[in-house]
Amino acid sequence: MISPALIAAWVLVAIAFFALLILAYIAIRSRTRPVDLEKDVLAFRSLDIEAFRNLVDSAEEAFLRDNLPLKKFREIKRQRAWVALIYVREAGKAATALAKIGQAAQRSSDPKIAASGIQVTENAFRLRFQTIRTGLYLLTEILLPDLQSRSLPHLVNQYEQAAETLFRLGRFPSRPAGLARSKSA
Amino acid sequence: MLGTHWHQLLLFFLWITPHLLLAAVAAIIGKRRLYFEFPCFFAFVLCEIAEFILLFSLRFVHSVTEEQYAYVFSVTLFLSLALGFGVIDEVSKDLFRESQFLKVAARRLLQCVAGLLLGIGALLAVYAPGNHSVKWHAGVFVVNRGAAMVQCGLLLSLLLLSRFLGLTWRRPAFGITLGLGILASVDLATAALRAEFTSDAAREFLNLLTTGTYLVCVLIWIAYLLVPDRRAVTPTVVHHDEVEVWNRELQHFLK
Repeated sequence: MISPALIAAWVLVAIAFFALLILAYIAIRSRTRPVDLEKDVLAFRSLDIEAFRNLVDSAEEAFLRDNLPLKKFREIKRQRAWVALIYVREAGKAATALAKIGQAAQRSSDPKIAASGIQVTENAFRLRFQTIRTGLYLLTEILLPDLQSRSLPHLVNQYEQAAETLFRLGRFPSRPAGLARSKSA
Repeated sequence: MLGTHWHQLLLFFLWITPHLLLAAVAAIIGKRRLYFEFPCFFAFVLCEIAEFILLFSLRFVHSVTEEQYAYVFSVTLFLSLALGFGVIDEVSKDLFRESQFLKVAARRLLQCVAGLLLGIGALLAVYAPGNHSVKWHAGVFVVNRGAAMVQCGLLLSLLLLSRFLGLTWRRPAFGITLGLGILASVDLATAALRAEFTSDAAREFLNLLTTGTYLVCVLIWIAYLLVPDRRAVTPTVVHHDEVEVWNRELQHFLK
């Protein structure tokens, strides 16, 4: 009979080994790669916020709840939450990219760019944390689809403005496909 | 006989060399005036050297019993652990230095992680206290195991959080974190095994593993302390107006 203490010891050895693997991975990946500005800005701009709005709209959810059998409603709600979660993940990645650019801008010799870089970085960090909160909320919806959803108005409304303004900035010759208005989830 | 001799030589080599190299680490910190930025790490390095001199000397004093040596070893171990926590606090402050938001939010998150890890460590100490047959020695390794788990978890959280948020490390801080992280991981494994396996053969093998890892970590510290910080990759195509626009967008998004 193996004692619990011995099992605990080997579990800790496995955890330590796993930690070493993560450390090795981080050390290898830590080499600075050039910031791909165009790609990061494109990623930030290309999120289809209208589709996201539909996915988390509480009125639309109420409509589905009233018109679908319970089993079907749960299935669809889970699917919608999964898709919304993918959007949130992408928004988080975009925030990380902006944080990197903001930090690079902070080191600029131009004091105006440096000052703006500080603000970009701060806001990108806040956005990153907000995506975690939203992600957790969506995960709860996936696990407990019967819970009444609250809509996420701030995230949705402001993201649309953000995307529109970035589009108007005009670094890209044509309107990004993700900004196309769509009512389909 | 030859085997024992070879083993002893290797053990002495792995015991002495890292501490000689630690003197080089201290010299680099002094020369680059990094002690202003990492005073706790500097204290940690000096303390490790002093502890080595003390323990190495005691090893050859015939009047010192094994029990007395073990007591001194335990005291130095706890001192190193305490300084290790100081170093973790120091590198986390360095990592979050440029963001007022992270100074509060990320540090609070780390405090939660530390609380959780402490709880797990305490539970492990109660439910898996190690081999009871060898008096207080095993108890020391159980405490070391708990502390190593907390340190390892905190350092990993710090590294993963920085990747997750896109934070830029400065080279010395990254090197210190990486080295300490490897040391804490191997400490966690060896302390867990030491608490269970108390034979001479197991102890000797774990001693070799610990000292070998320590050598690797000191080399990592030297490498990261010697190489100057890379110049930040500033995106040359960024204009002030554009940075301002991003900032406005993010602010809208956060409202």
